[in-house]
Amino acid sequence: MQTVDHTKKGWSVKDVIFLAIIAIFFGIIYQVWSFAYYAIAATPLKPYANDLTLGVWIMAGPLAGVLLKKVGASVVGELLAAAVEMLLFSSWGASTLISGFIQGIGNELGFAATGYKNWGRLGLLLSAIGSTIITFVWDWFQSGYSEYHVGLLVSLFVIRFVSIGFFSGVLVYWIKKLVNRSGLIK
Amino acid sequence: MSSKRINPTILVIIMLGIGLQITFAHSVSTNIVVIFVTCLYLCYCKASGKLLILTSLYAFPLALGSWWSFIMFGTGDVWHTAWIYASRVYAYLYLGAIVTLTVSVKNILLSLSLHLKLSSTFVYGLLASFNLLGRIKHQYKTIRYSAMMRGTTYHFWNPSLYLRVIIVALNWSQDLAEAMTSQGFTEGAARTLTYKDNLPKWQWCLATFLILLYFVFSFLVRPW
Amino acid sequence: MSISLKVEDLTFTYSIDSKPIFERLNFELPLNSFNLLIGPSGSGKSTIFKLMAGLYPQYSGIKNNGRILLNGQEIADIVPFERARHVAMLFQNPSRQFAMKTVFEQLVFALENIQYPAHLIEKRATEVLKKSNLWQFKDRILQTLSGGEQQRVALATVLVLDSSIIFLDEPFANIDNVSRLVILNELKQLQLTQHKTIFISDHDISNYNGLVDHLYEIKLSSQNLVELPLTELAKLPAQTKVTQKNLPDNAVFSWHNLSFHIGQRLLLSPNSLNIPKGYVGLLSGDNGIGKSTLFAAFSHQKKYSGNVLYNGKSSEKIRLRNWARTVANIFQNSSDQFIKLHADEELDFSQSNSLHSEYWTAQRIQDAVNKLDLIQVLKHVNYQLSGGQQKKLQALIILIMSQPVMLFDEPFAGLDLNSLENLLMLIKQTTKDLGLSTLIISHQRRGVVEHIDYELLMDEQTIKRLGEF
Repeated sequence: MQTVDHTKKGWSVKDVIFLAIIAIFFGIIYQVWSFAYYAIAATPLKPYANDLTLGVWIMAGPLAGVLLKKVGASVVGELLAAAVEMLLFSSWGASTLISGFIQGIGNELGFAATGYKNWGRLGLLLSAIGSTIITFVWDWFQSGYSEYHVGLLVSLFVIRFVSIGFFSGVLVYWIKKLVNRSGLIK
Repeated sequence: MSSKRINPTILVIIMLGIGLQITFAHSVSTNIVVIFVTCLYLCYCKASGKLLILTSLYAFPLALGSWWSFIMFGTGDVWHTAWIYASRVYAYLYLGAIVTLTVSVKNILLSLSLHLKLSSTFVYGLLASFNLLGRIKHQYKTIRYSAMMRGTTYHFWNPSLYLRVIIVALNWSQDLAEAMTSQGFTEGAARTLTYKDNLPKWQWCLATFLILLYFVFSFLVRPW
Repeated sequence: MSISLKVEDLTFTYSIDSKPIFERLNFELPLNSFNLLIGPSGSGKSTIFKLMAGLYPQYSGIKNNGRILLNGQEIADIVPFERARHVAMLFQNPSRQFAMKTVFEQLVFALENIQYPAHLIEKRATEVLKKSNLWQFKDRILQTLSGGEQQRVALATVLVLDSSIIFLDEPFANIDNVSRLVILNELKQLQLTQHKTIFISDHDISNYNGLVDHLYEIKLSSQNLVELPLTELAKLPAQTKVTQKNLPDNAVFSWHNLSFHIGQRLLLSPNSLNIPKGYVGLLSGDNGIGKSTLFAAFSHQKKYSGNVLYNGKSSEKIRLRNWARTVANIFQNSSDQFIKLHADEELDFSQSNSLHSEYWTAQRIQDAVNKLDLIQVLKHVNYQLSGGQQKKLQALIILIMSQPVMLFDEPFAGLDLNSLENLLMLIKQTTKDLGLSTLIISHQRRGVVEHIDYELLMDEQTIKRLGEF
């Protein structure tokens, strides 16, 4: 009978399901908190709401990266989360998938900059910087940031970095530490 | 009946092809045309009106917020800008809806696997996880209750909440993957595909035409 | 076609630093026969099945030595789509073994995997569904079926693949007795008429007498499979009954016209009862009848109609956070209970938030830890503890919380008789001292019923107090 090539290291169905289940949990957790976002988003302060919460939406990417330690894990993790968001919670329409991809690229670049060797503080810091810059450039076009005053832009950039830095950086780092201490993932 | 519908793969291509361009376009009128055409197609497919109205209402605060913020903080022609970004919210929304509200999740994924070679590992991995939605919701309640019983509450910034989620995801993904493997599912191997859908050549042409047409109008003609 | 499945000199461990779960194990599966594997939970029944089905070490553990050969070929190396034609498996958790949404889609999925010719797939799936008496379920959504129905679909999935060896890993853990008998008979027919080899693991040996050709046990001491005489199957423990007592009418917890569904299935039709304070009750009833769901309803995690009352007041408007300080649910799955990483952190946390901190003094907690034999694992990570240790820790941390209503869902699963007795005594003592209302679901009756004060039976969508009238 035909045999398996155990040396192949592609995506396994277990990895896909693992990330998809996490993404579904994220969808459920955020549903509860998204009301707060909506309350602010209905006002002129919407860009603040966007940038303040961005780190939360982006978390799935770096989390997938540090859990699976794979090339492409951040992009795929973020894309899966976006696909789950779009197909199960259908809230944002077409932009979900596109933004998910862009956000994932931002995170991925950070890990790539370490040669996929550092999945700890340095990797996460670079990943947070990467996604802050990439997503900001993206919103320059997508959300019309090009039309805002410079003052607003500067404060938005700072808020965005803090949000991404905390949720996709510090929080992911804490989670990773907990997971390591639990000894559940080798 | 279904043969007169647009193939899911083509819908996804249109969604991404036009969606990507919308990001860089500066036109209210093309946004409105997109909204109009997608709504026509949604009506043609008899998409659930209730869902459509609900998601439209759901998006309203976002459109309002965008609009208002440009009036307040915008530079240059603030009215034009405000209407561009408000209408853009709906253009994105209905563009997404032509995929999600007219085709089942299973058919979207299988169609993409048939025509665009989306790997079966992702197709069936996603399908298997989606079936657990109800159980995952219940599990989330269990996790919350486990903390409340001890006199504490999980918030979305608590790392321990995510540890709990990861533990469940680890166990369940292992169970499902083991079962699928024992049912013969092999990553990267050929498998029979009974799913069939109609993808006539003219639909590829339609997608190309619509995407090009949008490009010409948004970036060359550039109406208001 | 002749087929063979052999284990030779197998040594297997879960991680590099733990001691092997099997050492130099040799075993040959007798073909065209009906086999049963028994042994305490945690003894490795699942592990040996998953090894023989080729799922391990791919999904877990390390094989240090030896071979597992299917027709002379190492089974773990065979591609799954070929392996599935020979060896297949039914899993312990019925709901987590399907990739697809509906019954028919699931069978088609399996056939597609083994590259069955496309034009024959529908015919084949139809044929098997009709033969398995599942045709009327064809388009039903799998996640809404009962555990018993799900296992029947899982069996049909195996049959559609035409695998000659079928492993069933504790397949009846969550399913009712009627379905269990249906499946057991179907399996026996498959063995007799289609020459399938059946290998089941079960913690409950009832109804196997006369069906089984070989009986095996995993002995923890020898870490090996030992064949037992079939006469063991006739030695069923006598069903013990709870002795009736006159209990005071002092209930603080009750329900009125309580009813609930899962999907379309009605699990409980309007029911009203109360439970006495300061006593430990047993909630019995068939597997899959809805006992855990009842607990979920009591703890407001499952929607229901009717009322759940505490101190005569209906609870539906109470905030969940406060209700969780009234009704405690000790979950069937221990890892659902832990909110900290280490055992000692769990205990400290419970102690500082206890509703009866005057009772749970450091000394009392220390005594309980000693009694439950947890002293040497206090610094360990919860998730790394053995199943039995997790069960004991889980029960203790909630007992320390001391909610007025305590709902234990299978707290004794996998405990040896000594641990069981110690834990039960602790539950009983706490219940009595603090005047709690305690209900226990336990499929294990031996060593339990002697200490139980009253019994509630859930059956045919109703709950009644046994011996009441």
